[in-house]
Amino acid sequence: MFKTSRPRNEELDLIGKVILRSAAAQEEDAEAAASSPFLFTRVRAAIAAEQRLQEESGSWLSLILVARRAVPAMALVATLAAILTVWSAGPMLNGTQAQADEDGLFILLDPGVEQTVLASRGLSRDDVFNIVVDRNYEVKGK
Amino acid sequence: MDSLAESTDDVLVAAAATGDESAFEQLFERHRRQVARIASRFFAQREQIEEIIQDSFTKAYFALNTYHGTHAASFKAWLAQISVNCCYDHLRRARRRPEQGFDDLEDGSVQEFAAWLRSHPADVETRLISRDLASKLLARLSAEDRLVLTLLDVEGFSVAEIAEVTKWSISKVKVRAHRARAHLRRVLQRYI
Repeated sequence: MFKTSRPRNEELDLIGKVILRSAAAQEEDAEAAASSPFLFTRVRAAIAAEQRLQEESGSWLSLILVARRAVPAMALVATLAAILTVWSAGPMLNGTQAQADEDGLFILLDPGVEQTVLASRGLSRDDVFNIVVDRNYEVKGK
Repeated sequence: MDSLAESTDDVLVAAAATGDESAFEQLFERHRRQVARIASRFFAQREQIEEIIQDSFTKAYFALNTYHGTHAASFKAWLAQISVNCCYDHLRRARRRPEQGFDDLEDGSVQEFAAWLRSHPADVETRLISRDLASKLLARLSAEDRLVLTLLDVEGFSVAEIAEVTKWSISKVKVRAHRARAHLRRVLQRYI
């Protein structure tokens, strides 16, 4: 098997070399490319374009670096703000009765308003009903 | 400019690195043919060679600060390394373009190629196949295969030299060369 495949491989390798050489350009083509006019101008333009690109990406990079440095400061501010919010909300939760009454009066849509007012004056629903009826009689009497 | 023409590459590199454009132009004038010659081993079209020259010198310009010359041929070798890598990048990009493949060859071309392969192989070294046909055939190889075979068989580099230029290990070059040759044989066998 090896006796037959080795010469075959050698032949294929030889053909491969010829193909590789055939795919290469001739010396004249290389010389023509190297002597092409404005080639250095093109190189200069490519360098300038690359420099612009690097500057642009550099500015973005610096922005990202600044933003990265700002993250701890922003986190600190956010933490302080959260602590302040919790701290200022604390007295509200354990607030006085008067504060609760005012809150109840101002939040009109809250169904607990009525109960809050009644509880604070020590009136029952019947007392309130009697007051309203008495007031109506007084108005009619006038 | 006269003093620049007499300066060594290392002096010119030092000047170019500080922004001296005429020093860089002098380096370009000195070495553009060498870069064109390297590119011509991989690409047949003049436009492609020009593109490699442009890319190589642009990359070299931005890498001037990394160059540390120690002997006379340093800059030449350093630039050759950049040029080979540019060729490799272009080969990889060309592989992604399907129109560069061998499959789109007309039947006539494939027949012509098959007939060429079947012909008497004794004078195979003296024969040349059409450049376009050869380019399209080699497009079937990966960029790495093409690079290593071209450097070995066309440029005549040793395994150690390829390892130095590509920054691959010697064993990787050997393995890659072996696989590339086997792949090329398989491709050729399809047409014989």
